[in-house]
Amino acid sequence: MSEATRSGRDWHSAIDKLRGSEIESIFLRLAVLFVVGLFLTIATDTFLTQTNLVNLLRQASLMFLLAAGLTLVLIVGGIDLSVGANLALSACLTAGVYKATNSVPLAIATGLATGAAIGFVNSLLVAFLKLPPFLATFATLWVCQGLAFFYMSGSVIYGFPPEMRALGSGFWLGIPVPVILMTIILIFLTVFLRRSTIGHELYAIGSNATAARLSGIPVRRRLILVYVLSGLTAGFAGIVYLARVNSADAGVGEPLLLPVIAVVLIGGASLYGGRGSAIGTLSGALILTAVLNGMNLLAIDSNLQPMAAGLVVLLALALEAVSKKHQRKK
Amino acid sequence: MTELVAKPPASIGTRLLNMPGAAFITIALVPLFAFSNDAFLGASNLTNIMVQTSILLMVAVPMTYVILTEGLDISMGAVVSLCGVAMALYLADGGGLFVAILIACAVGAAFGAFNGVCVAYFQMPSFVVTLGTMGVAHGLALILTNASIVTGLGDQILALQTGSLAAIPYTVLIAISLYALAHLILYHTRFGTYVFAIGGNRHGLELAGIPVNLWHTGVYVFAGLYAGIAATLLTTRTFSAHPTVAIGMEFDAIAAVILGGTSFDRGKGWLFGTVLGVIAIGVLRNGLNLMAVSSSVQAVAIGLLVIGTLLLDKLRANGWRLT
Amino acid sequence: MGNLAERLDPDGGGRVNADVSLQGVRPAQVSPAPCVLSVKGICKTYPGVQALQNVDLDLHAGEVHAIMGENGAGKSSLIKAIVGAITCDSGEIRVDGTPVSINTPADAQTLGIAAIHQELSLVPHLSIAQNVFLGREPMTGVPFMVDHRKMADDAAAILHDIGLDCDVGAKADSLKVAHQQVVEIAKALSQNARVLILDEPTASLSDREADALFAMIDRLRAKGTAIVYISHRMNEIGRLADRITVLRDGKRVLSATPSEISTDEIIVAMVGRPVAQPSKEGRADRPVGDAVLELEDVWTGTGLAGITMSIRAGEIVGLAGLVGSGRTEVARAIFGVDPVLAGRIDWMGAPLTGDTPERVKSGIALVPEDRKEQGLCLEQTISQNLLHASFWKVFPKRLFRPSRARSISRDSIAKLRVATPHGEKRVGLLSGGNQQKTVIGKWLNADARLFIFDEPTRGIDIGAKAEIVDLMIALVERGNSVLMISSELPELVGCCDRVYVLREGEVAGELADADLTEDAILRLAMHHD
Repeated sequence: MSEATRSGRDWHSAIDKLRGSEIESIFLRLAVLFVVGLFLTIATDTFLTQTNLVNLLRQASLMFLLAAGLTLVLIVGGIDLSVGANLALSACLTAGVYKATNSVPLAIATGLATGAAIGFVNSLLVAFLKLPPFLATFATLWVCQGLAFFYMSGSVIYGFPPEMRALGSGFWLGIPVPVILMTIILIFLTVFLRRSTIGHELYAIGSNATAARLSGIPVRRRLILVYVLSGLTAGFAGIVYLARVNSADAGVGEPLLLPVIAVVLIGGASLYGGRGSAIGTLSGALILTAVLNGMNLLAIDSNLQPMAAGLVVLLALALEAVSKKHQRKK
Repeated sequence: MTELVAKPPASIGTRLLNMPGAAFITIALVPLFAFSNDAFLGASNLTNIMVQTSILLMVAVPMTYVILTEGLDISMGAVVSLCGVAMALYLADGGGLFVAILIACAVGAAFGAFNGVCVAYFQMPSFVVTLGTMGVAHGLALILTNASIVTGLGDQILALQTGSLAAIPYTVLIAISLYALAHLILYHTRFGTYVFAIGGNRHGLELAGIPVNLWHTGVYVFAGLYAGIAATLLTTRTFSAHPTVAIGMEFDAIAAVILGGTSFDRGKGWLFGTVLGVIAIGVLRNGLNLMAVSSSVQAVAIGLLVIGTLLLDKLRANGWRLT
Repeated sequence: MGNLAERLDPDGGGRVNADVSLQGVRPAQVSPAPCVLSVKGICKTYPGVQALQNVDLDLHAGEVHAIMGENGAGKSSLIKAIVGAITCDSGEIRVDGTPVSINTPADAQTLGIAAIHQELSLVPHLSIAQNVFLGREPMTGVPFMVDHRKMADDAAAILHDIGLDCDVGAKADSLKVAHQQVVEIAKALSQNARVLILDEPTASLSDREADALFAMIDRLRAKGTAIVYISHRMNEIGRLADRITVLRDGKRVLSATPSEISTDEIIVAMVGRPVAQPSKEGRADRPVGDAVLELEDVWTGTGLAGITMSIRAGEIVGLAGLVGSGRTEVARAIFGVDPVLAGRIDWMGAPLTGDTPERVKSGIALVPEDRKEQGLCLEQTISQNLLHASFWKVFPKRLFRPSRARSISRDSIAKLRVATPHGEKRVGLLSGGNQQKTVIGKWLNADARLFIFDEPTRGIDIGAKAEIVDLMIALVERGNSVLMISSELPELVGCCDRVYVLREGEVAGELADADLTEDAILRLAMHHD
């Protein structure tokens, strides 16, 4: 073999390796984030200030908490439209239980249990009744939202003890607590996806559920796990949200659905399954929050926000459709 | 030649079991509400139910088409709101009613065409595409109105609101005739046949040499046109337009379609079932309103009914066995 | 005759006797009718396989042209090329002598070419009449309105002609599969096509229905329709064909009229070499142990009707039969995919229960027929795929260690000689043979003891085929067992110790030793004696 072809082959294999890993896509997302940041730094005086950046990180961490479980659902090729409503219901029940018992641990346990229970219901509908995930979770979305509104009956519960509020607005060693929570979940999720066999099984299921089943992977049990985790992180996000704004309101979930889907899609998760990562979803959360934050700073009509999120979703979809078409041609 | 048919003709018992859930719900609810509230069977309330039902029907009918093709159009509520806003702004500006309706339908059709192209040509999942367009339509409606209500729509629309023929409001008549049109299209034209075929066996339709993508896009355009009509009826009824007035209507419509016996199973369904579904939802919401039950609880009830219906469908398909 | 034998066997040896002649079943065409459709030198390559190589085909008006060949010989590709379902790499199609381009099914329809495919193209919730006229609905005078009455009458008439009297207003999914097939045929007939292609139309028909279909074909032939007929059933070919073309490995190996050729010659042409010559060296030396898997009177909802068979340690057992005879269903029942309704499956002396994951842990492996849909995650890398069946074994504590994964992947790639620069390549980019090796590697890592191979060499080029077969032999030499489902007769005869032949969900016969010949398998499978 001549020297030239050998080096050529090495080069190709290096590219092949790069493409297989997530490095390429993470760099791309960092570049986008950098461009958005640079633009906002130039266009506004307030973007690159400590207050704004802390604020931005706090917002992003909330988005990430909500999107973390959803990322797992997308990895196995499903969808969970109920995460926003789940957040609202969990937050409201947490608030209600605290007001009734004055017990912070009990309140937090209620929130987590609510989230997990909703996820479990979703998992039963998807894994056992084999309903299309978008339909099953669309129905639970409305049930949760309705329950939240019913429970609150139009009121807002506010006023929580400092130890609870610390979860959302406190600092620890000078770092906002939500950011610490985000980091913990990021590490946990990354380790789970990369260093546990279950994580690897999830990618296999999303890539080809039939082949996974015929390889002896317990697909149904994994689906249950994933939807329950998605519910759990939504419940947890509800608690953190409650702690941050110091009030619970049934209407908080609905405007979150579109952004959270945008976050996971920008984060590189695929609606066709088999792709997605914790770090990707984090980058998605940062990008979307930076864009929305920038719109605020630039004093762009806040009415444009749902449109921006919608356009981001459509853009992410279009990119995926194009790359899929490109792949098919190959 | 009964031997040809795999299943024997159904007995009355199984035929009753196979009735759409909507029929059971209506049959169960009407006496309940009638006993618990005298006003329920009153003429004005019945008219009220009819008008409410008519508007929902204009969303549920095209939603049936979309679901028959194994798709979902989540954007319809937001698109109806946007169409309403568009026509209301034109009317408030002193424009004519006819053109206003055309504008509403055109806005709806444009969104439908976008959804359809994404779903049919680019094979994107319909529920996420329409989730995205929902955001866009919602945002547009908010911006056009600056998040406030549009009023002062002129007399033309008042005539439409109060007018009636043989005590039946115009709104209801329009809805009935447009239902009839949709029925005719679904069961008596090629388009209708292909709607069933896209959900039932898209590949088979391609092998038959049909430009499937085009017809598939048409389904969403059709949905957009009906969204324009729904917006007209809604604006007529409220005599105003609010940018979020119809948000959530897509959920009622999807629920009505599913309660009416149409499913995501290879183009299985019928249009008249959707009428039953819409009536069931209308009766449920109206009755609960009279009982002063909040609309959020109504949504919970509808969501649970949908899950229950899907569960029953599954059991029915499995021969009444679990798993 | 001499001409033909030369074509079959250019080396001159191994001439076969024409003991069953088809001569006289139909008089041979005296004067050639005009050529309606002619295919010249078409080629089609899929990644890793050459599906069609320079194939020629001439279809004449009023003639039934039978195309024969083993599975994977290129019959389906040829049909798909003619009806515009695939685009060819090169070659030409002429209709009435004029070159045409057929890129979509619509093009083919315009040119008067109709086909019934093996996969059903019916829409389950439309009526039978609507299905028959799908895409060609008769219209009333009123704009856009479909003429349901005319459609129903015409559909009923066509169905009546083929011998099916039914309520054409009923939904298509209320029909049994056999009758759905009849509707497919009606759909093709209703087009009044000049060229009609029938791909195994009788696969699910009863004799009475098949007879009605043949009568229909006779009538169409008399009317001047050119008919392409694909079937495995010799007696049908004898009954219908005016001309026979045999394909093998994507090439045309034979074209003749029935009067020029015997059944055995056709089989020889399909198989590719004179019958009874497979090499079985080394097979007898293998020590054979006790029975490890025993099926007793197994029935399933998927069509198995009382299967009884056994596999011993160190043995390669073949499973032969036509498409639809229940071969894959046996594999799925053993693997726990389809529930067993009656009967018993014993594994290592104990009843086999539990779901697929448990069966995998007990040492059963399935190398499925459809690698891409069922065997591999194409978007993932070789390394990832190699571990899918063995997470529980390689990482018992559920902690994934990349270094261990890498070393396993390196070992497997080296051991199986997968042609790849490294394990991080996407499996979808590999050739068929290397993909198959990856699937096998997946199961080697899971320490399976029974390997079920479903069509192990389909879509794999010749060199890799031999490697796969060697791998199977290596497996049994280490005391494992192999159950091999295959349509490739030389392969079955060449490497199996015993072969069960299935027909319609039952065991039609068991062949071993001297009885195990391609000829015997075909006869049992085709019900031809």
